[in-house]
Amino acid sequence: MALLEVEDLHVTFRTASGPVHAVDGVSFAMAPGASLGVVGESGSGKSVTARALLRLFSITDDVQISGAVHFDGQDLLRIDERRLRAVRGGQIGMIFQDPLTSLNPLMAVGEQIAESLRLHRGVSRSEAAAEAVELLARVGIADPEQRATELPSSFSGGMRQRVMISLAIACRPRMLIADEPTTALDVTVQAEILLLLDELRRSEGMALMLITHDFGVVAATCDDVQVMYAGKLVEKASMAHLFDRANHPYTEGLLRLVPRFEDAHTGRLHPIGGQPPITGGGGSSCAFAPRCSYAVDRCLTEVPPEVAVGPQHLSACWLAADRAKDATEAGRPWRRAQ
Amino acid sequence: MSVLEVDDVVVEFDTDAGRITAVDGVSLHLDTGETLGLVGESGCGKSTLARAIMQLVPMQRGSVRLEDTDLGSLSRRELRRMRHRIQMVFQDPRGSLDPRMNVSALIGEPLRVHGIGDRAERAREVAEAMELVGLPAAVADRLPSELSGGQQQRVGIARAIVTDPAVLVCDEPVSALDVSIQAQIINVLDELRDELSLAMLFIAHDLSVVRHLSDRVAVMYLGQIVETGTASEVFGQPRHPYTHGLISSVPRADAESAARLRTARRLVLGELPSLLDPPSGCRYRTRCPYATDQCAEAEPPPEPVGPADGLHAVRCHHWRTIVSAAPEPQESATSQELAI
Repeated sequence: MALLEVEDLHVTFRTASGPVHAVDGVSFAMAPGASLGVVGESGSGKSVTARALLRLFSITDDVQISGAVHFDGQDLLRIDERRLRAVRGGQIGMIFQDPLTSLNPLMAVGEQIAESLRLHRGVSRSEAAAEAVELLARVGIADPEQRATELPSSFSGGMRQRVMISLAIACRPRMLIADEPTTALDVTVQAEILLLLDELRRSEGMALMLITHDFGVVAATCDDVQVMYAGKLVEKASMAHLFDRANHPYTEGLLRLVPRFEDAHTGRLHPIGGQPPITGGGGSSCAFAPRCSYAVDRCLTEVPPEVAVGPQHLSACWLAADRAKDATEAGRPWRRAQ
Repeated sequence: MSVLEVDDVVVEFDTDAGRITAVDGVSLHLDTGETLGLVGESGCGKSTLARAIMQLVPMQRGSVRLEDTDLGSLSRRELRRMRHRIQMVFQDPRGSLDPRMNVSALIGEPLRVHGIGDRAERAREVAEAMELVGLPAAVADRLPSELSGGQQQRVGIARAIVTDPAVLVCDEPVSALDVSIQAQIINVLDELRDELSLAMLFIAHDLSVVRHLSDRVAVMYLGQIVETGTASEVFGQPRHPYTHGLISSVPRADAESAARLRTARRLVLGELPSLLDPPSGCRYRTRCPYATDQCAEAEPPPEPVGPADGLHAVRCHHWRTIVSAAPEPQESATSQELAI
């Protein structure tokens, strides 16, 4: 039984220059306690997908959402604001790249956590205060009694993200959505935060959805991965499977794009030419075709369906079956190419 | 012959909370056509060092010699005349470009400032620089706001190379860019280094990018260089526990990813100490799992690793005994192969 089931999710922003199909027919499911990395470039729709699950949009956004988001027996797109508020921060916690934008700068961090506990769980003031200190300790903040009384501004970037995580897990959510949670952090701090997320997921039995542009971050924290391009899921697989069998040309491009630490200088990098479409998806062709070095005629005239290319491995590419065969024979196409 | 020699540079600042030593006795050198990667975390002093080399912040001690001229001994006027030989590329391309100037004016500006060439020569130089960084001639009349992030950074690089510098100082030149743009800019820098025989000081917090571009690397911690050597020595066989911790912290797309992060957590303990109250002795000792009383008492000097005339040096009392700090054998084998 899935904890989260997203069906044919579409998110369209109406802008002055026309509609932008930021999310264009996305479907996926997560089991309780599962871990899923969502990878793509800026503008691929990965953050918008996450926000759409909780309808977290600014009131100035002219946004249209359709599809269904089944979570724990209810459709989050159809429940009223009051019930949705109980889910946000209650059953689903969220953390973002910049914790400062989600923390109240004028309120002691312990109070902010306690407030959330009182709101969602109805515990007493003194119980909430005590539990806030426990939560700060659990995310690795030293001297939590003292730190609970301090403002967010007195915390370092890494410690602030820990505070944010303690706030997100305060109500023992069944799912945590983390949107680029370590992008702004130094690499040793990032390592600690990723390990913390992984450990909390296991100890709390939470599902984790982690949005990032970095496959390394996914590998460290998630069992499954899905790659987004122009509002669509182009590939889904287990992370272990993807190392060897990346199928979609866009996934291959992303993997070859960045220098890998374990390689010394291996010649020039391979940027993906061109740019993602600014209007998102919604076309009648493969959205990646204009940037794809493998594209054939059909890619320009028909939207490719998701094709099963292995166990729990889907790729939305007209060449998926052939590419899967090649990968089986040669392995690691994105490494071979270097 | 080194084109840039930095010797024992110390930079101190007064802050509201007191005086700090941001750069604490750093020496390094750069040869023609060589890239030195400078890595370290926020607050380690790498950007301040870059600004000191550029003579943009005063030094309390030490010297910076560019092509055998001591920059600190020059008058303002003489320094201005030397500046075209050492140029800088910044992190935020947009913020470093005048929004009212078009691309060709922006790229030609350093030439005008330094009084290089006449109008026709400058136009030729600008066109050449644009070609070198891969900017199409069609964008010459555009304003920065009409360019993509990648194009803006190409303009930043063209401005830096148009005066034919010997040294290019790049301070986090790709960290503000999206991944696909990063790859393009890294390739541009890589090509320029080869074509123009530039000496490059490349500052970045992304170790994979630094390893990709650098011949040698220096690892900074709390104002000091704690380890330096060829990129394959330092990244393949790190000797300082901090270097090993940094390397292990890089999340890699493989099955050992989480295990490596746990290694990192054992090697880098707790939080960065304040520069207002730096630890005695070894700067790293408060976070080091191998620290002993000796580390608190005496500051470790840089010691050569391997042959005495080699490039690999480390500041750690215990580097000889910390055998466990060597990474998995498979990787060191690779780096040895590469060194041959």
